[in-house]
Amino acid sequence: MHNLLSFLIKARPWILFTIYVVASSFLLFRNNPYQHWLYLTSANAISAGTYRAANYVTSYFNLRSINEDLQSRNTELELEILRLKDKVKGYMDKEYAETVPVDTAFSRYDFILAHVINNSVIHAHNYITIDKGELDGVRPDMGVIDQNGIVGKVNIVGPHSARIISLLNNNLRISCKVRGSEQVGSLVWDGKDTSTALLEELPRHAKFAIGDTIVTSGYSTAFPEGVPVGVVIAEKKYYDENFYTLSIKLFTDFTTLSTVRVVVDDMASELAAIENDTPTE
Amino acid sequence: MTKAAIYLFITTIFLIAAQVIVFNHVCLFGVAVPFIFLYTILRLPVNLSLEWTFTISFALGLTIDIFSDTQGMCALACTMLAALRRPVLRLYFSRDDELTDAYPSISSLGFDVYFKYTVTLTLIFCALIFIIESLDVYTFGTIILRIGASTVLTVALLLGIDCLLHRNNETRT
Repeated sequence: MHNLLSFLIKARPWILFTIYVVASSFLLFRNNPYQHWLYLTSANAISAGTYRAANYVTSYFNLRSINEDLQSRNTELELEILRLKDKVKGYMDKEYAETVPVDTAFSRYDFILAHVINNSVIHAHNYITIDKGELDGVRPDMGVIDQNGIVGKVNIVGPHSARIISLLNNNLRISCKVRGSEQVGSLVWDGKDTSTALLEELPRHAKFAIGDTIVTSGYSTAFPEGVPVGVVIAEKKYYDENFYTLSIKLFTDFTTLSTVRVVVDDMASELAAIENDTPTE
Repeated sequence: MTKAAIYLFITTIFLIAAQVIVFNHVCLFGVAVPFIFLYTILRLPVNLSLEWTFTISFALGLTIDIFSDTQGMCALACTMLAALRRPVLRLYFSRDDELTDAYPSISSLGFDVYFKYTVTLTLIFCALIFIIESLDVYTFGTIILRIGASTVLTVALLLGIDCLLHRNNETRT
């Protein structure tokens, strides 16, 4: 007994060492990367506060490129408005006497504007922190987009901040398709370049050309259908003969993220309720 | 002794802030990532008990993890590094009694020994980090490239920090 005690006292530092190694390995190798404790992520109060303060200064640095993005987007939208005005005018002329049916799909989505206060692009699993949280209506699994395209998905929500799983995180897969076709593939980052990603599992009979635009499929409640993602730049050779894998140039510039929009789907709870409603016999 | 400890504590706070606000976003040539918070682990006094060395290193790693969403990765690598610190120092500098200062630095160890000590520990740390982080994502060649480049960048920064802080010390006394 005395020997055991003296051994324990002697080995005390190494017992402590083992405890620390086990604790950090436990954090590191838990199976599900989506479930972490809020206070151990960058969305906790102290780190979110630090990043908010730092962002107050650094957000000015990217204004030039963001401004250019907005300008070009603005031009596109103005052209779009002109085109739509033309179309509406045509319809009004054509169906003057008829009632135009109200399309409910337009009012299905709502947006929450948020600022990116921390963003990483150098890891294999990247996350983004934003300055809006539960009290602003942000909930886990909501989609996040910016003026150019998709950004990621809400992961962990604090009262005033939230952590986003960036598209540059190979735990995240988003269902996408080639604009104008119905075959759906799965978009995932390959961990190499921050401006490219892969569209995997696209069925062999899908039709596409280099330069085609990739958009979201709308098969989940996170993103509306047709949010732009990127353009096809190459077809990759893969072992599986039944599927294409395409290299996609992303529209979103992850190195200069600043203002993003969280997509609120008013039908999310309704759809979830329907999908979980399994008949009991 | 206490003055030096407080000085190291304040330095550590600054290093953590600099790491999470600036250096976490640096990735030179797409491969080299700097880890300047290692300076604290390198600089912990030689005669500090193992319990404290492990605890401080683990806490430091966990703090960096929390800020950069890496969940236990830095905590694990820092704890490992704390365990290897003394053996590595012994390897290059066996005469503990000849130390002028318990805190390892260029002035107390000499540039040669301090350089070897820094390179070895940084290399171990970078190897641990990139192997833990990216075995499932990157190819073997990319991992080696990232480890090498990050080690070079980090060592350069750590030596720079030591020169800077040491010169400050001298002018103050």
